[in-house]
Amino acid sequence: MKTIRLSFLHMLKFVRQDKMLFAAMIAPLLAGIAIHFAVPVAEKELIRMTGMPAVLSPYYSLFDVFFASITPVMFCFIAAMVVLEEHDDHIDRYLFVTGLGRNGYFISHIVLPAIFAFLITVVLLPVFGLTSMSVAEILFLSLAGSLQGIIIALLIVTLSSNKLEGMAVTKLSSLMMLGAFVPYFVPVSLNLCASFLPSFWMGKAILDKEPVSMLLSVLASMGWIFIMKKKYDRKI
Amino acid sequence: MIKVDRLTFSYSKNPFIQDMSFSVSEGEIFGFLGPSGAGKSTLQKILLGMLPNYQGSAVVNGTECKKHSSDFYESIGVDFEFSTMYEKLTARENLRFFSSLYHRQTQSIDELLQMVGLQNDAQKRVSEYSKGMKSRLNFVKALLHDPKLLFLDEPTSGLDPTNSRLMKDMILAEKSRGKTILLTTHNMQDATEICDRVAFIVGGQIFAMDSPHNLIMSRGAASVTYTWFDNGEQTASCLLEQISEDQQLQRLIRENRLQSIHSSEPTLNDIFMEITGRTLV
Ligand SMILES: Nc1ncnc2c1ncn2[C@@H]1O[C@H](COP(=O)(O)OP(=O)(O)OP(=O)(O)O)[C@@H](O)[C@H]1O
Ligand SMILES: [Mg+2]
Repeated sequence: MKTIRLSFLHMLKFVRQDKMLFAAMIAPLLAGIAIHFAVPVAEKELIRMTGMPAVLSPYYSLFDVFFASITPVMFCFIAAMVVLEEHDDHIDRYLFVTGLGRNGYFISHIVLPAIFAFLITVVLLPVFGLTSMSVAEILFLSLAGSLQGIIIALLIVTLSSNKLEGMAVTKLSSLMMLGAFVPYFVPVSLNLCASFLPSFWMGKAILDKEPVSMLLSVLASMGWIFIMKKKYDRKI
Repeated sequence: MIKVDRLTFSYSKNPFIQDMSFSVSEGEIFGFLGPSGAGKSTLQKILLGMLPNYQGSAVVNGTECKKHSSDFYESIGVDFEFSTMYEKLTARENLRFFSSLYHRQTQSIDELLQMVGLQNDAQKRVSEYSKGMKSRLNFVKALLHDPKLLFLDEPTSGLDPTNSRLMKDMILAEKSRGKTILLTTHNMQDATEICDRVAFIVGGQIFAMDSPHNLIMSRGAASVTYTWFDNGEQTASCLLEQISEDQQLQRLIRENRLQSIHSSEPTLNDIFMEITGRTLV
């Protein structure tokens, strides 16, 4: 426990020295403020310009699904960058042969950031969210977002060989989040094409108020994590 | 301290390490010697519990390597073949962080830095260190928690003679403090100098295992080479053990005509080639 805590704190210190990573850490807060204040203003403008009764407001819950994904994605992106850098410096291998060990490394570098992202999302979502959500929905979105963050971190680490590639892979793997669009915009008959994406089930769970989709989202995430963890273990 | 019995391992489907057995006793410096790709680092990784997919048994400090728990590493110090430091941090910051990862009492960082002559560079970033400084720093990192067992992967490779000498002396000093040391090298000279026993490894197989002295003595026959002047310089040689039968040498000695004479014992390098049919580099 002590070693995991120290390794995590050391990672935070490391992030503080890196401007880009530090910016990524406060990005969720900025995004929350932007969504909460700018979107309703934009909606008013759009209604005035188009004369339609509603333009964005039917999709407010989709904004919330995205907002729930942002903190975990940012945190896990930071974590993945640190892992890649430590892999370059061969430090991961050294940490495996200390009291931290392989599992401790995974917990302190991937799982703990996701847990913190979960806690922060649980707090920020009701504050900056555009719709009023039940406690169950808030907890579900925060959990599903954090699991997605772990998947994205594992994708970045396994698919890129250095930090620069990591940036590119991050953009690519953030496409994971796009599954949430599908229930809102794609005809139902085609929906199942996106069913392998946890974010699809996140969107569906919120749009249709369906507990089964919540479960399927978590299950899909578990499947992804299981497969990606195997690839991660082979590389790191 | 280390007992390996019928160890078999491979990264791929092709066989690599097969049925390997050896043991290392407490207080011993044991060297893996072999050319690049022989499997020296692989063996160390297995013994460190980093490659759990092996067959057979490999017991280190009473623990089967693939089943180790996290306190396995409390009594093991490792110096990998490359530097494993945060390049952006200073030497002292690095050592402080790594020593915080052990539960047992750790050694004083200042004393360790002093020991390798880095006390005045402690506040420098590791990225500003020279190669020799880095390898000294990585070596003391392995000593932070005063482990009973040291794994050193090519501790002298790429070092200039001064740093290499320094490193060997430090290794011997740790041995005299009671540590068991397992090292890899492809430098025969170093192996002869510091190892109590060595194992010749090529292609994942042990070809011979003994003390450097015994290996040299068991195989090598020393020879004597001499020169004299007779219409230009002439050279001849004979085996040391047959020196009394060399009539020409006897005559040259009687006539005081020898210009030079020297005996040469085979080196571990020669023995390695003779046994494995391979050179070391
Ligand atoms: N992670 C790995 N995956 C697959 N093959 C590997 C891996 N690491 C090493 N090998 C292969 O195993 C063989 C032995 O490698 P190893 O690093 O043990 O050699 P070595 O004796 O330490 O050589 P050197 O003196 O160059 O350090 C090599 O053929 C190498 O290509
Ligand atoms: Mg090696």
